[in-house]
Amino acid sequence: MTLEWVHPGLLLILGAWVLPLFKGRLRRVVLLVLPAAALGLCLRMTPGTYGTFNVFGLDLVFGQVDRLSLVFSYVFSLIAFVGTVYALHVKDASQHLATLTYAGAALGVTFAGDFLSLYVFWELLAISSVLLVWQRRQPSAVAAGFRYLLVHLVGGLFLLAGIAFHWSQTGSLALGDMASYAGGAAWTLILIAFLLNAAVPPLGAWLSDAYPEATVTGAVFMTAFTTKSAVYVLIRCFAGTELLVWLGAIMAIYGVVYAVLENDVRRLLAYHIISQVGYMVCAVGIGTALALNGATAHAFAHILYKALLFMGAGAVLHVTGRRKLSEMGGLYKTMPVTFALYMVGAFAISAVPLFSGFVSKSMVVSAAGESQLVPILLMLTLASAGTFLHTGLKLPYYMFFGKDSGLRAQEPPRNMLVAMGLAAVACVVIGVFPNLLYGALPHAVEYVPYTLPHVMSTLGLLAFTALGFFLLLSHLDPEPTISLDTDWFYRRGAARLMAVVKGPLARLEYGFVGEIYELVIRRPVLGAAGLLRKFDSVVVDSTVVGVGPLTQSFSKVLKTAASGHAQHYGLIMAAGLLALFALAMLVL
Amino acid sequence: MNFLERQLEDPVRLARMKRWSYVVLALVALAEIVLPHLFPGGHHYFSFESLPAWGSFYGLVSCVAIIVVSKFLGKAWLMRREDHYDA
Repeated sequence: MTLEWVHPGLLLILGAWVLPLFKGRLRRVVLLVLPAAALGLCLRMTPGTYGTFNVFGLDLVFGQVDRLSLVFSYVFSLIAFVGTVYALHVKDASQHLATLTYAGAALGVTFAGDFLSLYVFWELLAISSVLLVWQRRQPSAVAAGFRYLLVHLVGGLFLLAGIAFHWSQTGSLALGDMASYAGGAAWTLILIAFLLNAAVPPLGAWLSDAYPEATVTGAVFMTAFTTKSAVYVLIRCFAGTELLVWLGAIMAIYGVVYAVLENDVRRLLAYHIISQVGYMVCAVGIGTALALNGATAHAFAHILYKALLFMGAGAVLHVTGRRKLSEMGGLYKTMPVTFALYMVGAFAISAVPLFSGFVSKSMVVSAAGESQLVPILLMLTLASAGTFLHTGLKLPYYMFFGKDSGLRAQEPPRNMLVAMGLAAVACVVIGVFPNLLYGALPHAVEYVPYTLPHVMSTLGLLAFTALGFFLLLSHLDPEPTISLDTDWFYRRGAARLMAVVKGPLARLEYGFVGEIYELVIRRPVLGAAGLLRKFDSVVVDSTVVGVGPLTQSFSKVLKTAASGHAQHYGLIMAAGLLALFALAMLVL
Repeated sequence: MNFLERQLEDPVRLARMKRWSYVVLALVALAEIVLPHLFPGGHHYFSFESLPAWGSFYGLVSCVAIIVVSKFLGKAWLMRREDHYDA
């Protein structure tokens, strides 16, 4: 590694280990300095290749820096800083250690220039983030964490297998466009691993399962890193893969449908992560310069506003201890600041003009239009209405207004409000000055978001979505239920499978297979063995036993012949000759 | 008592706010029809996008469709008791 290049991810991963050495105010200072330094390193970085190693003949690149990796590194380190401010009141050093390692792993993925170093950071993402779930230390969180870890380890195995195939076929580990290997085993396995981390259905249920179970502060980090680093590698390796266009558009609506049914605040928001990442996956599939810019810009904006939304929901959870919409209501009276900051995030995700989502999401939708994809454009616009419906209307209505639950909660700790303020400022700044973001995108941007028809049709869409919401309000009351998702297959499906294994399959084994075994194998074998034993005892034994007396009696006869007298021998010889002579006479 | 509380807790003010909301809705739809004709510019990818008040229409349709279809799926299939996985 060259001295003039320091890996910002490594700085966070290694730097996190000094935290337990400090206490109190000093620890908080170190906590803030680490992500701030990482952000500084990313901002100072210039495109190039750094940190190359040759290990066992493999070329490992830890610092592949280009415009794409740079823009992702900015937002990853920025949100690491904002998230750390939000978590500043947390006394447990192990939580900070996990979050900084997690952020460092995301930066590691961003700068990885080869598949092997990508794999290492990919696994570190899974391992460090599961700690954020477990650290809530509730039985439901521990169970959800195990499910989360198992799913990600399976994804990691797919990636490793894909990398092994790719390496054995091409002899290269370089991370780059996979289009020329489309349809092959390596291409398929690596794509599955990436889609799993991007939470693309049916591989995405881990997200809505685990995120609401994480700690209040940990969930903020989780919304940023895993899915967006997957979007990043999808842009790098699978741009223009047509399958992704449809998967992404379906995903955008899938998240919205589940959000209608959801009662847990953070799970509702988690389903909207799936929906929003759908726009990015779809844009990666479209693959034009506008689309890839859109995917990148939307990832950037999304990380900030989604973190803000999770911070808002987390603040309510932190002060009230309640996570279900059906148990909230009327909080605007005592938490007006939290409400206002949450609404900035809600307007940003809903793509209200002058907020960040408007300038990023519309790039993706326009890319679909530019490529003449009518159904995709309609699906994405429908999902936009759904986003506003839930995040901008339903959730704040039932959380802050609605039926007064009697909760008289206070505003959360000041560091939480400051972090939310930082994210809110970022959402508005990007929305008002889109060129700040556009200037950092991987391709040159000619796109202009603020045109009169675009602004007017967006306002119309949002206003009449609101009308639909208030007209159907009575049907939207949150219900204390949970919804089946594809996690059913490993939560219930696996149990059903085990019941089949233990019950019918075991009976089948003992009853049928066992009987057949008895009939076909055991009986004939035992029968044959019995015959052999009889043969052994009757024939072989009596032969062996018979040989002794036979020899004995024969030798008794012989003994009489061996008398030692010459005349006996002469007599026997004469008798023999006579017998021989008689035989010869008889035959001739 | 903050500003929002004064607006929402008073039935007279709340009713007045509702009336104004409908006025705003009508204005938004009207503006979407009229303004692009007064200030031409920007462009559409498809012809349906230049239908009068397309955004407003599609917003309302989308919102209703999402709620109706999702609730149907939920009631018919997806929604379960909260202890579904605990048993």
